[in-house]
Amino acid sequence: MFETSLCQILFYLLAVVAILCAAGVVGFRSPINSAMSMALCFAMVAIIFFGMGAQFLGIVQCIVYAGAILVLFLFVVMMLDIHGEEHSRGSYIHAAVGMLIAGFVAGLLIKAALDLPGAKDNTCPAITLCESAGELLIGEARQVKEAPAAAPQYGGCLPELSAAAAARLENPAISEADAAKATSIPDVKLLGQCLYTRYNIPFVILSFALLAGTVGAVALARKIRKD
Amino acid sequence: MIPLAHYLILSGILFSIGLAGVLVRKNILVVFMCLEMMLTAANVALVAFSRAQGTAGVPVYDAQVLSLFITGIAAAEVAIGLALIVAMFRARRTVESTALNTLKD
Repeated sequence: MFETSLCQILFYLLAVVAILCAAGVVGFRSPINSAMSMALCFAMVAIIFFGMGAQFLGIVQCIVYAGAILVLFLFVVMMLDIHGEEHSRGSYIHAAVGMLIAGFVAGLLIKAALDLPGAKDNTCPAITLCESAGELLIGEARQVKEAPAAAPQYGGCLPELSAAAAARLENPAISEADAAKATSIPDVKLLGQCLYTRYNIPFVILSFALLAGTVGAVALARKIRKD
Repeated sequence: MIPLAHYLILSGILFSIGLAGVLVRKNILVVFMCLEMMLTAANVALVAFSRAQGTAGVPVYDAQVLSLFITGIAAAEVAIGLALIVAMFRARRTVESTALNTLKD
């Protein structure tokens, strides 16, 4: 009980800080302040990832965003001698229209999240969503699948992680007794199993994209000699 | 525990703030940071769905692999984009998006 409420408090606290930092990125006049605010926002998101049990993604988020990308931004800000924006007369109308559009999109997204089937009556949103999508696909036949027996078992919340199930997935030959003894989820191992088997070719293509990006960045940013 | 909808609301708010920044700010560097924030918001939604769709307490790792790919592509995109911004600064001595009006004149 204590752990659950602690998780909840931490999530809402981190979410509020992340949203405030995101607003800071938009609001700060100087790009350096914006970059720092962005780093803080990404760090909060990384901790939220940890809370969701995606430890590897949290670490990647820290290293790639708060490490590599932030450093790139700061180097460019230092190189370019940028000053804060000047506000002209037309800019307030421009800002108001932009905020209006973004507010509309925010309302739409929040409404979509709250309208998920089962979000109000405390059944599982995701599984219900999946089931209704299956109905849509079938179309005229209207074959409604049997209601999933396990759907409402966790009251609209994310299911608890189960170390025993993860151990069985990691090693199908493991005995039930050994699986029950598992205490933590081998997050990196399972993610790697998925990445290097089913998504091996996209992974290789991604590495080519990164290589092309690096070469392209050097080619674009170098000084062009006149001779 | 925290409902899935709250994760999605967090993701939606982050996405909208990023969109507001892209629409409102004139400094291309800040516009670029806001783009990164929109990608992160997508990552939050993906990880939340990977937890919610999991069977028997194991998350669906396909969604997390997709999120990893988004992060990798974002890194490549930042390298290219910042190189373009540096090239633009060399040509124009500014990074304001309003300065790009050659076609208008």
